[in-house]
Amino acid sequence: MSRNKLISVGLLVWYLAVSVWMAQAPVDPQFWLLASILPALFVVLLVVTHRFLPLSHTSYALITAFLTLHTIGVHYTYAEVPVGLWMDKVLHLGRNHFDRIVHFSFGFLLAYPMEELFRLSASIRGWVVYYLPVMTVLGLSGLWEIIESWVARAVHPELGVTYLGSQGDIWDAQQDMAAALYGALISMTVLLIVRALRGAETALESEAAFSE
Amino acid sequence: MATIQQRDKAQVGHRRIAMGLLFGYGSIWIWLAINPVNRHDWFLENLLAVGLVAVLLLTYRRFPFSLTSYSFIAAFMVLHAIGAHYTYAEVPFGFWLKDMWGLSRNPFDRIVHFAYGLLLAYPLRELLVSRAGLQGGWSYYIPASGILAQSGFFEVVEAIVAMIVSPELGSMYLGTQGDEWDAQKDMAAAFGGAILTMLITAALATCHDAREQQPSHRSAPSVVHQEGSA
Repeated sequence: MSRNKLISVGLLVWYLAVSVWMAQAPVDPQFWLLASILPALFVVLLVVTHRFLPLSHTSYALITAFLTLHTIGVHYTYAEVPVGLWMDKVLHLGRNHFDRIVHFSFGFLLAYPMEELFRLSASIRGWVVYYLPVMTVLGLSGLWEIIESWVARAVHPELGVTYLGSQGDIWDAQQDMAAALYGALISMTVLLIVRALRGAETALESEAAFSE
Repeated sequence: MATIQQRDKAQVGHRRIAMGLLFGYGSIWIWLAINPVNRHDWFLENLLAVGLVAVLLLTYRRFPFSLTSYSFIAAFMVLHAIGAHYTYAEVPFGFWLKDMWGLSRNPFDRIVHFAYGLLLAYPLRELLVSRAGLQGGWSYYIPASGILAQSGFFEVVEAIVAMIVSPELGSMYLGTQGDEWDAQKDMAAAFGGAILTMLITAALATCHDAREQQPSHRSAPSVVHQEGSA
């Protein structure tokens, strides 16, 4: 097995192990099932497309990190994740912020894989390379909120927004989307800076080589 | 030479129709600017609209949209001007629909959210295809995703404005009309409109390609010749 393959398989094994572990006695089995369908389909999609559209190890690692966070959140129905409860106690936030953190990391961790996907498969150029991932993150966050609202109305119409872990906040959907947007903006800014520095470096090197 | 003259003529025609659309929209806008239901709300609603028209005017030379796009944009802007005049929740046409369909609320703002996706996905696609080199299947998915993203962004901005302006009034201010799922439904309406337009655009493009394919053997050399002479 080559080193490349070893890393991808290692990430997959890690994700499966975490999933199996977190599938043991979830706090709310119905919620666990509903919220686990999409990630499972997503992983299958990644495995299937691995052959003809392989992403970089960085991308696969970022995706795995995000899915790990989501799996932990789903086990505890997000509103009861121990880390979030602990943060609430220490920082006096008034609510469990774990779900907001995962929304942020949706943008922060998945913007780069999206950038790579667009760069490799959609033949785009220029500033759009940085704009499209931010836009897509925001679009998918909106789609997620829409799907959530449908599921909530179908499963527990009497509970309304409380089912979504809004924890009594009427602006929950907007704040979740904003968190993802900030995450994506930060990661794209970092990418832009890293590329600018690296570009300056290679330019200097080639200049040095030329003068020699 | 003939082709250059034809092109000039086409450009003049394009400009004339685009100016006509601007004139039409301007007249309707001025008419609706007289005595709106709530001047303060009218002002807020029109900040973005005036900005968009200014951007379209300034970029006309460097990046003229197709007349189809300009017509779609103008149609959407007229709907928005009507909504701004009546503060959306009180548009008479919406009340008429409410009575006819037995709805619990005035649906005009939902219709305009739908129209946002339906009418502006096409211009957005045009912009992304010609400026960003978008091709193939992506060129149909990304405009729909972009409309959804802009709708989400709009809801976020609305929420921030509402929290600053009137935290205690909260959702009242936004014309949610007491619906806790208002933001999600608005976004879904825009996304649905955008998907519809992209499906129609894709279908038309496929039909067009199929028609081009048939006489390709005969037309191919003449295309090369035209390009050479122009």
